[in-house]
Amino acid sequence: MDPTQLVLQAELGDWEFVWRQRQFFVDGTVLAVKLTFFSILLGFVLGLPAGVVEAYGGTYSKGVVRPVGVVVRGTPILVIISLTYFAGGISPAFTAATIALGVRSAAYQSQIFRGAIESVESGQMEAARAVGLSKLDAIRHVVLPQALRRSVPGFQNEFTIVLKDTSIAYAIGVAELLKRSYDLFSIQTTAALEVFLAASLIYFVLTFSVNRGIERLHNYVAIPGGNH
Amino acid sequence: MADPLLDVDDVHQSYGDEQVLEGITFEMERQDVKVLVGPSGSGKSTMLRCVNRLTDIDDGDIRLDGESVYDMDADDLRRQVGMVFQDFNLFAHLTAIENVTLGLKRVLGLSEREATEKAAWQLEQVGLREQANSYPAELSGGQKQRVGIARALAMDPKLMLFDEPTSALDPELIGEVLEVMRELADEGMTMLVVTHEMGFAKQAATDVLFLDDGKLVEQGPPEQLFENPENERTAAFLSRLTQLHGGQ
Repeated sequence: MDPTQLVLQAELGDWEFVWRQRQFFVDGTVLAVKLTFFSILLGFVLGLPAGVVEAYGGTYSKGVVRPVGVVVRGTPILVIISLTYFAGGISPAFTAATIALGVRSAAYQSQIFRGAIESVESGQMEAARAVGLSKLDAIRHVVLPQALRRSVPGFQNEFTIVLKDTSIAYAIGVAELLKRSYDLFSIQTTAALEVFLAASLIYFVLTFSVNRGIERLHNYVAIPGGNH
Repeated sequence: MADPLLDVDDVHQSYGDEQVLEGITFEMERQDVKVLVGPSGSGKSTMLRCVNRLTDIDDGDIRLDGESVYDMDADDLRRQVGMVFQDFNLFAHLTAIENVTLGLKRVLGLSEREATEKAAWQLEQVGLREQANSYPAELSGGQKQRVGIARALAMDPKLMLFDEPTSALDPELIGEVLEVMRELADEGMTMLVVTHEMGFAKQAATDVLFLDDGKLVEQGPPEQLFENPENERTAAFLSRLTQLHGGQ
């Protein structure tokens, strides 16, 4: 037998192996997407108020929020996720991963929102107050609608980072894409390239389509005639 | 005798070590139109901002209808005092009509329908019925400033503050804004105006107040200040200003 043919057959066999396990990949993908969604959501729910506090808060509220953000941003995600699961005793692992990724995302999202809020001209706040709006109403109805629009590009990055970092949940046994790739690779060790290529392709398709989606959203919410 | 509408009583204000206002005193009766003039840095804008408490004063008092503005809730005070800004400061994400309805809904508690009706009427008063659904970035400077005026007027203020309302406008757009302001003065609105438009001061002002270096140097009816100023500095400044901005 021609030896090159043998190699080809073996490679075909590895791709076939990946194809046969497609449901396994799909389930991992669904888990990764869920993990991303809930982490981003938690990050938004915590990060937006944190960003508002950093932009407008008093000495005390800033004094709490800022250091927390600095510490979280200064801690590797693998450490955060291990602390949450092993030390924090939060289970199941999916919940622990969501909290770890969500809290870290909040620390970064707060900076995206703080920056966007600070980029809104101070005259906007002043005009809102001059009409008689309370500070909270002014933030809610005048500053935030503009700041949120400006935060979309930064948010796009954050989304990509969180999506890819769901692979860290592998460390605490969450059966997301990377964990499943390892499992498959241990079954058929010749298929390392194929298995991990398949996983990275899925990550790429996800990040690419989400980014395009967010770009569309950005254009959709853009202020007519404006340049933001 | 009834209290004056606005009573500015020996107001002192500073930013850090820098004294901005050093004992400003004047009164405004209802329907008065007072124009504040003075070189840049003389404290005119700061004076306006003290009236609606966008800036706090160090000493003295400001009374609106007899009540110290420092005894009033700041939001309550601002509801009664309209302000028009040099840079318009229209809410960039809202259409012209939404700029007007926001305060009506959130501050005065009007329903969506009441607010929209009132805002539409107010925009029509400043000649912008057609532009009601345009966004600020789609409007000319003069149109933006007229929306700014409509936004303030819709709240039915007792007093309107104008902070150099035409300074950011191209010369050909100044007229339309001044015209709206003149009409407003004719209708009896009480107005405190910082402007370099001497034509407006001559036609519409009950008094012109000349501020220099944080002090009120001279005040009086426009004829008096323009024809027979008591103070040399007033004379020099006004004649220079009239040369530059005498039109309209």
